Amino acid sequence: MTGRWFRVPTLHKIAAAWPWWLLVAALLGVRLSNGAFVVDAYALLSRPFWPGSAQSEWLRSGQRLADQARLSELERDNQRLRQLLQLDRAGQAMVSAPVIAREPAGWWHQLELGKGSLDGVAAGDPVLAPGGLLGRVASVTPTTARVLLLTDGSSRIGVWVGRTQQHALLQGLGTPRPRLVFLEKDPGVRPGDVVTTSPASTLLPPNLTIGVVQSLNEQAVPAPEGLVQLSAPVDAVDWVQVVTR
Amino acid sequence: MGVLHRQRWCGATGLAVPLLSLASPAFLKIAGVAPSWAVLWLLPWALVDGPGSGAVAGAALGMVLDGLHVGDASQVPVLTLLGWWWGRIGRRGVPIERSFSLGLLALLGTVLLGLSVMLQLYWQGALPLPLAGWHTLAAQSLITALLAPLVCSLLLLRWREVVGPRR
Repeated sequence: MTGRWFRVPTLHKIAAAWPWWLLVAALLGVRLSNGAFVVDAYALLSRPFWPGSAQSEWLRSGQRLADQARLSELERDNQRLRQLLQLDRAGQAMVSAPVIAREPAGWWHQLELGKGSLDGVAAGDPVLAPGGLLGRVASVTPTTARVLLLTDGSSRIGVWVGRTQQHALLQGLGTPRPRLVFLEKDPGVRPGDVVTTSPASTLLPPNLTIGVVQSLNEQAVPAPEGLVQLSAPVDAVDWVQVVTR
Repeated sequence: MGVLHRQRWCGATGLAVPLLSLASPAFLKIAGVAPSWAVLWLLPWALVDGPGSGAVAGAALGMVLDGLHVGDASQVPVLTLLGWWWGRIGRRGVPIERSFSLGLLALLGTVLLGLSVMLQLYWQGALPLPLAGWHTLAAQSLITALLAPLVCSLLLLRWREVVGPRR
């Protein structure tokens, strides 16, 4: 019996088993190519059953939720650290106020809000809209507040370009786009950079989006200047948030 | 002084000026700039009621409008002057009724008013870009002059009926 096990098969028998050799070669090919043909065939066959756009939307929604939760955590953390550094005004709160009159063009650029000193609004309070900062409260009555928009010719606030970590002055021109005046000769800012409130500001909430640098004049004297496209739509906003002390 | 100011409801129509300035209807704007409602109301008032009443009405309107705006620029001097000037025109010449005349007077008044505001803002440093001021001046003058024949004619007709035969 044992002699039969070690008997060398004849060449004829080996050649006759060619389909098996072919199968082995195919299996080896699959193994060496990390299953390329099998996966490709599976992909081809299962294509009608692949996850559709609805599932990718679920994933994006989940991602957004996770990002929002992370953002809230970071904001809380940031606020705690700022309070430790005493950069925040104590006890600030948000008051929602309706826009009862608006004048975003003309001699004066201003809004009238339907909340005043009775609701805790005071002169100097920042006014926010979806999109970012709109301006600051210029004066109040018991039931109304007047907001000086960032576009008004008398508006001037310190701002921050985060990408280059540069401070600048945002100066209203009486046009829809205020001017960004840099303090240094070579600010390294380019169109598209986001302008925010200064992280070190004690007058305005930090890191609030103001707009995007639209154009830059590097030849301006004594320092380069730019124009900023504001991100808050003053023509469309009906409710704003006033950050009260 | 004329007699129009003695009719309380006629004077009360002046309240429409600050209300319209606040409401600022979007469909009555050119390039986002609203007309000068003060000019549109003051012109027929002064033409009917004379220079004294016109000057007082102009000053009163100016004070109310100054209270509605940020900053220190004032419209009182020019509105007072316009009220007095239009009152004199109404007293001296033939009655002004033609649309072109009303439009022209409103245009001149708005240009004067705008120039005074622009100069004040410029001196106060609140107008860093004079080009923006010229744009506002042109747009406001144009829309006010276009609306004047309609608004001022109606007010003139009504108030002349109230005052009675021309004195």
